[in-house]
Amino acid sequence: MERVGIEGVNRVRFSFPIFEFPPQAEALRSEVRGFIAEELAAGLWQPSGDFASSYSATFSQRIGARGWLGMTWPRRYGGHDRSMLERLVVTEELLAASAPVAAHWIADRQSGPLLLRYGSEAQREEFLPQIARGESFFSIGMSEPDSGSDLASVRSRAAKVAGGWSITGRKVWTTFAHLNHFAIVLVRTGEGGASRHAGLSQFIVDLKAADVEVRPIVNMAGQREFNEVVFDGTFIADARLVGEPGNGWQQVTSELAFERSGPERYLSSIRLVESALACAREQPTPRLREAIGRMAAKLIALRTMSIAVAAQLQSGVTPDFEAALIKDLGNAFEREQIAVFRALGAELPMCSDDYLSALASSTINSPSWTLRGGTREVLRGLVARGLGLR
Amino acid sequence: MLAPILVMDTLVHDAATRAFADLARDWLSIDSGRDGLLAAVEQLGFADALPSPDDRDAWPAAAAIIRAQARSATPIDMALLLATGDRAGSISQSRAYDCARSAAAPDSPAALAALSLGRCLQISAAMQAALELSLQYVQDRKQFGQPLAKFQVIQHGLALAAEEVAASGAISDLALACAVRDGVQTARMSALLDAAAVVVGQSVDVVYDICHQVHGAIGFTQEYPLHRHSIDFLRWRDHLQLLRGGELRCAERLGDAAFELGSVWRAVTALMQPRVSRD
Repeated sequence: MERVGIEGVNRVRFSFPIFEFPPQAEALRSEVRGFIAEELAAGLWQPSGDFASSYSATFSQRIGARGWLGMTWPRRYGGHDRSMLERLVVTEELLAASAPVAAHWIADRQSGPLLLRYGSEAQREEFLPQIARGESFFSIGMSEPDSGSDLASVRSRAAKVAGGWSITGRKVWTTFAHLNHFAIVLVRTGEGGASRHAGLSQFIVDLKAADVEVRPIVNMAGQREFNEVVFDGTFIADARLVGEPGNGWQQVTSELAFERSGPERYLSSIRLVESALACAREQPTPRLREAIGRMAAKLIALRTMSIAVAAQLQSGVTPDFEAALIKDLGNAFEREQIAVFRALGAELPMCSDDYLSALASSTINSPSWTLRGGTREVLRGLVARGLGLR
Repeated sequence: MLAPILVMDTLVHDAATRAFADLARDWLSIDSGRDGLLAAVEQLGFADALPSPDDRDAWPAAAAIIRAQARSATPIDMALLLATGDRAGSISQSRAYDCARSAAAPDSPAALAALSLGRCLQISAAMQAALELSLQYVQDRKQFGQPLAKFQVIQHGLALAAEEVAASGAISDLALACAVRDGVQTARMSALLDAAAVVVGQSVDVVYDICHQVHGAIGFTQEYPLHRHSIDFLRWRDHLQLLRGGELRCAERLGDAAFELGSVWRAVTALMQPRVSRD
């Protein structure tokens, strides 16, 4: 994002420089594709759902054993010192194959990087190696019953007690809290005062602890992914405070560029496109060729932008506006695919079960795509801020 | 350290803007107008519209100049001249929009690719210029007691337009990077230009709609400069579609590439990476 003054006119340009994957990243791509082919051949899983819903702890451990979790983290924390672009190769290939990545996804994408940046040395040494091995899974503890898009209004509160903190409050839409080990929760530890963003802090909560209650919230697809997590005087040791007390807002927003710009924001319905293609491989009609080609064109644009953000993250820049922009555009693209492929109808005479299940799953899950990770409205507000309108 | 293979440097951009402002002044001050312009264009190393397909070093500079020109809204339709390389025919000074289907199309595949690329860059730049004009306008114009920019519906509309401008810019830059790297005569280049034509073509609809909508009636007048940009990107899009046989054909060819590899994803990754192994 740059602001450029030329001839007195204030010009705003979002920044998406063009990067090329280095040769070692492309070698890695072949390796990941080989791994996926082996897994599929062995019948270890079926491509299904999208990145947020297909959960397999054993798959995550196999990925960890390959060195594909915590890839960009230093070796001393169990990481692999690889670049953001190499990480992108792994994540996009796993998503494109609709692999069951949900267990490790949040921990690898944002909890680990958050701890790496703001966590104590002891927290890094304790948690990062477990995450990188695919043995420790995290949930996001942001939303509450009365705080969704308006995240700064959270009311869960931590009061200082001897040796730690006592948390009271509720978190909702906490995906896989019933299966994951930890959640990083954003709670109020002090008054905001003039700035609503002050007085917030983040804590690592052990979801298996006896004084943490995890209740199911079944979604409209009939699946249990969401939970409500209830804290009623839950004790959290001082050592589980992430970063400085009161710095929670800055920390939580730093997670968002990681959360918003990745390939999961435009590959949610890739299985629909690939399965449609597979149905008509023998005799593709012009309409189908056109539909598939249109998707390919948009994927190229989105992927170019996503690569640019990954590369900027690598150099320490956090392109928040660009990340929001990609997510909004990517989500719209995912939605468009459903409409386009549904309309093809008889152009797909040999409809496979795989295609029909992808169509059903995409259709029923699509409302969640434009909600999770920031609603469409929040994202457009951010882009507008980037444009200088707010 | 990771380095981008292509980045539109602000300094290059500014220099290009100035260079074209100077050119425009010279052209207007010389009686032999068009010849003067041609001489100046020749001096800049763009004798034939765009750099020679294999002169990779010249491409980023050419792109910067094409973009700067497309944004500058000078009264000279230099871009048409540059892009068509039409040295014999007359330069159209008309601002009327006519869906022309007789625009010049070069016979060589290399020139066709270069020209398509030039059009994508121009359209992206003209959309960016229209967006910037709109951003300025909504901050200046007040209705219901406050600047239009304060209305959330205006903010979200312009955010959408900005997203389209960004997508078009990114895919055009990717095609440019491909040209810089391997020249314009590659199958990959041709496919990327098809993809760019699809993306850019759709973006124009969104940007044309939203930028005019936020302007209200003033944007629909001759006296206000928005039409310079919108007629530019509309006309250039027509020419781009003419060069490539239309958006549907572009999409079909891309679809063929996906069917050939048996996967959209494989086609996308292969097209975006030179020397990718066909595993």
